[in-house]
Amino acid sequence: MADLLLQSLYSGVLVGGAYALVALGLALVFGSMRIINLAHGELVLLAAYIAYTFETKLGLNPVFAIPVAIPVVCAAAAAAWYLVSRIKRDRELNSLILTYGIGIVLTNGVLLGWGADVRSTGNAWLQDSVMLGNLLSMRSEVLSFGISVVLMLALWWWLSRSWYGRAVRAISSNRDAARLMGIDPRKTELISFVVAGLLASCAGVSIYASSAIQPSVGEALTVKAFIITVLAGVGSIPGVLAGALLLGIAEALTVTLASSALQELAGMLLFLIVLYVLPNGLFGVAKRRG
Amino acid sequence: MDRSAIRSKPRALVRALLRLGAGAASACALLAHTPAAFADVLPVGVELPLTGSMARAGNAQLEGIKLAADLFNQGNGKHKVSLTVIDDEAQPAKAVSAVEKLASQGVLAITGGYGSNSVSPASEAADKAGIVYITSGAVDSAMTSRGLKRFFRIGPASGYSKAVVGQLNAMGVKSLSILASTKQATTDLSNEVSKQMRAQGATVTVHAFDPTMTDFKPLVNKVRLQDKPEVMLMIGYENDYIGILRAAKVLRPQLKAVMGAWSIATPKMTAEFPDLVNNVIGCAMLPHPAQFGTAEGKTFVEAYQAAFHKEPDYVAEFAYVQSRLLFDAMARAADAGTLKQDGIAAELRAKPHDTLIGKVSFAPNGDNPSFLNNMAQIQGDRIVLVWPKERATGKLNYPALPW
Repeated sequence: MADLLLQSLYSGVLVGGAYALVALGLALVFGSMRIINLAHGELVLLAAYIAYTFETKLGLNPVFAIPVAIPVVCAAAAAAWYLVSRIKRDRELNSLILTYGIGIVLTNGVLLGWGADVRSTGNAWLQDSVMLGNLLSMRSEVLSFGISVVLMLALWWWLSRSWYGRAVRAISSNRDAARLMGIDPRKTELISFVVAGLLASCAGVSIYASSAIQPSVGEALTVKAFIITVLAGVGSIPGVLAGALLLGIAEALTVTLASSALQELAGMLLFLIVLYVLPNGLFGVAKRRG
Repeated sequence: MDRSAIRSKPRALVRALLRLGAGAASACALLAHTPAAFADVLPVGVELPLTGSMARAGNAQLEGIKLAADLFNQGNGKHKVSLTVIDDEAQPAKAVSAVEKLASQGVLAITGGYGSNSVSPASEAADKAGIVYITSGAVDSAMTSRGLKRFFRIGPASGYSKAVVGQLNAMGVKSLSILASTKQATTDLSNEVSKQMRAQGATVTVHAFDPTMTDFKPLVNKVRLQDKPEVMLMIGYENDYIGILRAAKVLRPQLKAVMGAWSIATPKMTAEFPDLVNNVIGCAMLPHPAQFGTAEGKTFVEAYQAAFHKEPDYVAEFAYVQSRLLFDAMARAADAGTLKQDGIAAELRAKPHDTLIGKVSFAPNGDNPSFLNNMAQIQGDRIVLVWPKERATGKLNYPALPW
């Protein structure tokens, strides 16, 4: 039983790392612009298919597709920002509808371009198992977790130390005051979307390297990312990692101790319980009244 | 002659022409919506998931259906089939809408459907509209206990469960772990197989998993550390198989064989995931490379390769068979003048038919009780039929695993 639980916890942590990588981009845009980009999962999917094309056409390790995926996905993210920026009224609601539509267009674009077949990497190096004591995992999963942690630290540094990162935080805190301080909100929001696209590129390549992809996967990724973003608390990057790990572990333990049919239910229950106990999320800050 | 008389003649002519034109337009509209019982063209509806989660199977089916239409039209001088295709996106509500739209367009019958969740409501809608619905893509047992008079299915779950249990018995399996998706057809097959194996005294553990599951390591670890079976049977779809096999390749449970149900022993899985599927056993009507002993079979393979530049898989084969049965029945009903009096259904039930998948006959409930699938094993780049013995094209590697 101990072996079973330890392996389950280990798998949950690795899966949580992958979830965090997917959720980071959505959390950044949500935190800075209060916009839920429902096309985020499709951006991740686009990067995954670019990795697939890279591997099948060039025969190279799909991880090397990241520099190729970044400009394409960032351009798509910038295009999404441009459309969202045209919304003048009821931005939160209208951007939901708009980004949902963008997601549908991207999904069907992927379907037209790459077909409906299930795709997965054939790279033996990525699929090789890695042992940590008695604990087993795929090399691609460990790599994905590592990339997730590195990107999270990089994002945290960028938000807290760089000029544009602080501008993003200023815009999310008080848009008008930031504008008065000389920060261009449009430019800053564009940068948020582009950075989210960069994160989505890494997430997509990582997903392709460790699991199977098909056009319908994008929507499921968006839902997971959204749950984690809300669990984390608005604007909290460390919260994204904590929320993602919590979700990954909860799902893995449910499969091990209860039933694999209840995996999704466990995730939703966790979501409800955390929000009931901590309405602002794990690391969210309570708003002052009055 | 006064001026009013002179002016009234052209006007009368114009009015007459307008009336004639209106009459012609009405006749055309009437004919367009009238079942072509009086014409050579037999309109057929095709409702399939061409996008969405079942798109791969839906597109494979469409290839088989199109091929059936082409070969029928080439071979039948008196009647021609014309297809109207609608994508149901693997969603039940859209499947119903597709059927209703096809019915409004005057199709005489519908061939297609994939996934019991969609086929069930779609076939009910077809039956209400008085249209025959024939499918190979829905195996759930409950499909044929609804009392529908115009629903026909060539491949029920019983044919799959008999094959899987037959193969397990041939291997002498006494302990089995079943990993089954919670979808309708997969649950149905899982229940049937576990019931039959338990009745024979085998130890069976069933693990149901949500269709959205992507990390199967905790589940396979349970199989490895708790169940410790001889065989792990996966009942799901392509993405499930890839996830389970990946997890199994990492964890290496001590098994003698890995089996799957549908969608695993296919040329596509063999070509794209050779490292994952070698030695896996699954249901397959066709070996790979495809071999047929009959003239019709050879024609099918050659025509398929010419049209689509690849080997046919069993999904396309099933769709081809169901569609040829339908088109031939429609032609006979048209000849007998019974298209509008449920003649198509009567012709389908009239007698057994020899097809590429063996004898097909339809019981009153629409099922094909003769259906028995084959079991095949992926051996390198080939798919070898291994059960039943009389259809085997090679020897089973057992015990043997993908890793």
